[in-house]
Amino acid sequence: MNRAGPRRPGPVVIAGALAGFLLLLAPAVVVATVSFSSGEFLAFPPPGLSLRWYVTLLGNAEILSALATSAILASTVAMLSLLLGLPASYAIARLDFPGRGTIATLLAAPLLLPTLVLGLALLLALQPLKLVATWPGLVLAHCTVAVPFAVRIMTTAIGSVPAELEAAARTLGASPLRAALRVTVPLAAPGVLAAAALTFLVSFDETVISLFLVGPRLTTLPVELFRYAENRTDPMLAALSMMLIVIALTIVLLVERAAGLTRTLSKE
Amino acid sequence: MIGWLLCLPSFLVIGLGFLWPAAILLRMSLNRTDDIGAMQPDLTIATYARLLDDDMMPGLAGDTILLAAGCAAMAVTLAFPVALAIRAAPPRWRGPLALAAVAPLLVSGTARVIGWIAILGDSGMVNGALTLVGLPPQRLINNWTGVRIGLVESLMPYAVLVLIAGLGRLDARLEEAAATLGAGRLRTFLRVTLPLSAPALAAAFALTVVLGASAFVTPRLMGGGRVFVVATEIYDLALQTVDWPAAAALAVMLLLALGAAFALRGLLPRGRA
Amino acid sequence: MHLELAGLTRRFGTNPPAVDTLSLSLPRGALLALLGPSGCGKTTTLRMIAGLERADAGRVVVGGQDVTPLPPEARNMGVVFQSYALFPHMTAAGNVGFGLETRRLSRADRNARIAEALALVGLTDYAARKPRALSGGQQQRVALARALAIRPELLLLDEPLSALDAQMRDGVREEIRALQQRLGTTAVFVTHDQAEALAMADLVAVMNRGRLEQCGTPEDLFERPATRFVAGFVGRSSRFAATVEAPGVLRAGGLALPAAAAPAGGAVEAYIRPHHVAIGPDGAIPARIATRTYEGATALLALETPLGPLLAEVPATAAWRPGDTTTATLEPGALRVFAA
Repeated sequence: MNRAGPRRPGPVVIAGALAGFLLLLAPAVVVATVSFSSGEFLAFPPPGLSLRWYVTLLGNAEILSALATSAILASTVAMLSLLLGLPASYAIARLDFPGRGTIATLLAAPLLLPTLVLGLALLLALQPLKLVATWPGLVLAHCTVAVPFAVRIMTTAIGSVPAELEAAARTLGASPLRAALRVTVPLAAPGVLAAAALTFLVSFDETVISLFLVGPRLTTLPVELFRYAENRTDPMLAALSMMLIVIALTIVLLVERAAGLTRTLSKE
Repeated sequence: MIGWLLCLPSFLVIGLGFLWPAAILLRMSLNRTDDIGAMQPDLTIATYARLLDDDMMPGLAGDTILLAAGCAAMAVTLAFPVALAIRAAPPRWRGPLALAAVAPLLVSGTARVIGWIAILGDSGMVNGALTLVGLPPQRLINNWTGVRIGLVESLMPYAVLVLIAGLGRLDARLEEAAATLGAGRLRTFLRVTLPLSAPALAAAFALTVVLGASAFVTPRLMGGGRVFVVATEIYDLALQTVDWPAAAALAVMLLLALGAAFALRGLLPRGRA
Repeated sequence: MHLELAGLTRRFGTNPPAVDTLSLSLPRGALLALLGPSGCGKTTTLRMIAGLERADAGRVVVGGQDVTPLPPEARNMGVVFQSYALFPHMTAAGNVGFGLETRRLSRADRNARIAEALALVGLTDYAARKPRALSGGQQQRVALARALAIRPELLLLDEPLSALDAQMRDGVREEIRALQQRLGTTAVFVTHDQAEALAMADLVAVMNRGRLEQCGTPEDLFERPATRFVAGFVGRSSRFAATVEAPGVLRAGGLALPAAAAPAGGAVEAYIRPHHVAIGPDGAIPARIATRTYEGATALLALETPLGPLLAEVPATAAWRPGDTTTATLEPGALRVFAA
């Protein structure tokens, strides 16, 4: 295990790294700045600063409705992913049963496919059942990609709690369920929180699958953003993007506060 | 046993949302589209034949593969110094730096494209700088160039993630040993770091190629509707032309190609970390 | 008998049994040590008593009741784990009170019991501390208080002293023993340290490779080892090969040695403890002193004899030094002889 890491990298590596970070962070920084532009075009640097595009944004009923849909959808998906994923994570991390490896692989399988293909497949499957552009359809679709994340994170979190603690609880009279709920789950809480945050984000940001499954009366914020980007190029796009980014950042910061997300992620 | 019961709810979701639609997808690809564009239930590979026969297909496939491979290589190359720097950073900084490198993933793909439009567009930063210096403005968006730049940037965070994980297993003492044996920075890098990083680099490349081949948002938006890759074609077939058998068949072919690439990687000898 | 193990067996896969038909009995209020080298099955046995491992065969009977089919939460046994297994997210009081949550006690009663348990181990002032704010020794005492708070039928301890500093061990050892006797709780503890077992326990069960070698008082084990393994494992001894020449007479190294108890005939292995080897001018065995190890009140002499190397214990004040030649006598009644 590296204690202090390798020696200081040379100037070439540092220059390369700086260039890399610049490339990675430039779009986000630019979007943030342009969202406050007073101009008509997506120009950087902006001619002046103003809140006009945010005002326009907040006056747009369709967008606000899409925002509400996305928020409710993401919250639902996060809660469902936790509820469904926690027992599965516990079973995979703690119990030794035949087929455990297969189930773990199956539960991670949706992440192997491109979202484009997943979206198409869901469209083909749900259309005959008239579930396209409905809440159940969207929830199912988002959960399909969210649950694997949730299970993976929570399995790691539960796995890092020593099994002996549950054994100790059992000897003190706790049933297996009580031991799990009073000892393992609280200690795995940071991981559970991280899973909640991540599944919220996955659903909130989800673009491609949603493109296949939305309709005139039910649409999500990322889809609205995409449609706008296809047709226009004014700074309202930037303001709308910022809305998405800010909400994402807020969730991450909240979880970081609550449980040290960095720590959880780097443990993986 | 109780293990199965606990996994059942999640399994149901995966079954309903993934396994069953995947089966439907496969089934749909075996249907046929008749002359007026309506779907006919059937059990035939006619749709596959039609697609493969299409003059446009080789070009489309070629474009997609070249785009994916080229952008993946570029992304990995640019991500490498970032990962090396994170690895060499003092422990306190590693977490935040890694988070910064991966943070773009939290920003929706569409939002990032908008940022690129502001940077590369006709009224964007780059062209603004060029005109300032007296150089002619360049068309950097709504074409393959824009798509390439945008795709490279969107693949980089994934490459950084894989590289950080892979490089983490690289023992710093090996580079120290090389230094004590008289190797300068360049020599140490070429003879020690680079060869030992090869497995991680290969893994990063494999992941980004797969992601790049199925990328949709960046080619669609950065290409302004003028850049066609397999992903955009599937989308159009499904929602514009509404030729579902063709969309399904193309999707299946994409999966097969990705699966083949994956299997190929498994055949290659794996280097020791 | 309060605790009875009857034919307890546990197998992992197709390997030889980790615990092989183990049977022993323990009276109420007694402290039993399960002693043996690593891998001998002592911890597995303890876990089977607790219900944390299932028994493939045999029974665990406590107070006349067969508890073998019962899960750990139904057995009312207090377990102190080697790593203490304290719940990191609860305070010391929370840990100690955990076992009381499932019992129908009023809040006042529960708090009283927690206070009582903490007082027993002298940690009353540390009730509100979390485990990470406690030293190793304090954590162990919390683990002990937690196990005792439920007023268990049996107290089970897995290598209770192994994680402590050497200088703390003696003190903690006496504390645990005193506590156990004061409460009259029947207890079983696992250890690989035979000095610890001999010092603390009422009964010692020596295990080797899953089998019980001997179960008896420390004195029984030390003075009258029943098997070669016990003779060699418990305490120090010298070992030499011999043949039984006649009833009561062994021949080894060309010498005839009187032996009080020996098998009928044939090749044997004889064991003798250093303090039963006398050094003096009139002995039967010529000896040359090879080394002398100072041990405080006594000194250990390594002797070269026709029987092979022998160890003798002498007072530290004795004048014997390496290089001296002398003779040695083996106390006949102290020779343990086993068929080879």
